[in-house]
Order: sequence, then structure tokens, then C-alpha cells
Amino acid sequence: MTKRRFNKTSKCRFCRMGIDEVDYKDSQNLPKLTTSQGKLFSRKRSGNCAHHQHSVKVSIKRARFMALLPYVT
Amino acid sequence: MKEEINVRMYEGLFLLDNAQASLEWDNVVKHIHDILQKNGAEILKSEKWGEKKLAYKINGHKRGTYLLIHFHAKHSAITTIKRDFQLSDCIIRSLIVKDDKIEELSQVVPAEGGAEKTIDKLPEPVEKDLQAADASSKTADTV
Repeated sequence: MTKRRFNKTSKCRFCRMGIDEVDYKDSQNLPKLTTSQGKLFSRKRSGNCAHHQHSVKVSIKRARFMALLPYVT
Repeated sequence: MKEEINVRMYEGLFLLDNAQASLEWDNVVKHIHDILQKNGAEILKSEKWGEKKLAYKINGHKRGTYLLIHFHAKHSAITTIKRDFQLSDCIIRSLIVKDDKIEELSQVVPAEGGAEKTIDKLPEPVEKDLQAADASSKTADTV
């Protein structure tokens, strides 16, 4: 049997911080997950797990609607 | 039992016209509270986020004032609340979101003075957010 290797630290930043759901008012983290044009980073680029990537997607779209983040710059 | 299930916790963020908000802030806030209370909502917390530069122009507005309100309401009342906000002049945009996380907190805390304790436990540090948001908007300007 081959030895299984474990990553001790999670790749997902929200898992590491222990945040359950991403808030659309979180203006510290959300801009880091968008490109300079204002597009969403891919799951591969952001390193988020499926749950948090979904949550980020929803919250960025809410923040855009309330003019907290730009649709396009 | 059914009514208990229908009443939920909601979080509303309102983007207000800066001209009206700076002149008569109390009246604008009262107007919004009246709309909510008319539809049977119970307001738990209402706080001003302050004036901010918008990420893009909305109907010619470059700046706006944000108001964050947490309230209990029946889910059937939300559609009428949303319609009333759309019809009012001083509100540029409004977003109402279900907020179950705070509801859990309020259930844990005993009933007496429960609202105050939940206010203390709210997750978002608003001032920090604002500062960060201002910083980000400044960086956005430079880009």
C-alpha cells in the first residue's frame, strides 16, 4: 500500500480563516478575488474550494449590484 | 406554528440619494423605517455606513450614502416592501437578503435584551470595512 500524503493547510483562504459564508459587504477580501478589469478569478486561480467559490460568486454579484464593486473598469 | 416559520431575519442595504441624505438624514431614515413597519417588520438594528464613492454611475449619481438595517419580517411581506422601496424617490438601490446566521445568534442569546447582545456579536466591523472600501475605491481611481 502506498503512503497517503496529506496537505495540512487548506488551499482555500476562507477555509483557512474559518469563514463559513462570504459576506457581500466584505470589502477587504472580495477585491482580491477579481482581476483588475473586475472579472471573477477562476477556481484554479483563486484556490477556493467549491463551496466558497460559489459563495464568492454570489457575494461579488451582490456587491456589484450595490455599486460596492465595479462590473467593468 | 406556520407563522413562526414564515417570520425570518433579513438584512437590507439601502443606497440613498446623497443630496437628500445630507440635508435631512432623520427624515429619510424615518421614511424607510415607516415603510418597513407598515408592512409588519420589526427593526432590530439600523446603522449608517456613511458616504461613499460608487463603483459606477447610477442615474447620474457618483456618490451615495449607505444604510444597513436588520429586521424580522414575514416572507410574504418582502415583495410589497421591495415594491415600496422601488417607488420611493430618495432610495437609489436596495438589496434585501435573508440572514440566517444572525438568527442563530439571536436564538442562542436569552430573550431579555437579546437584540442588544446580537448587535455586539455582529460579524462585520463596519468602520474597518468603510476604510478598506475607501482605500479600494482610491486604488480603483488610480487604475
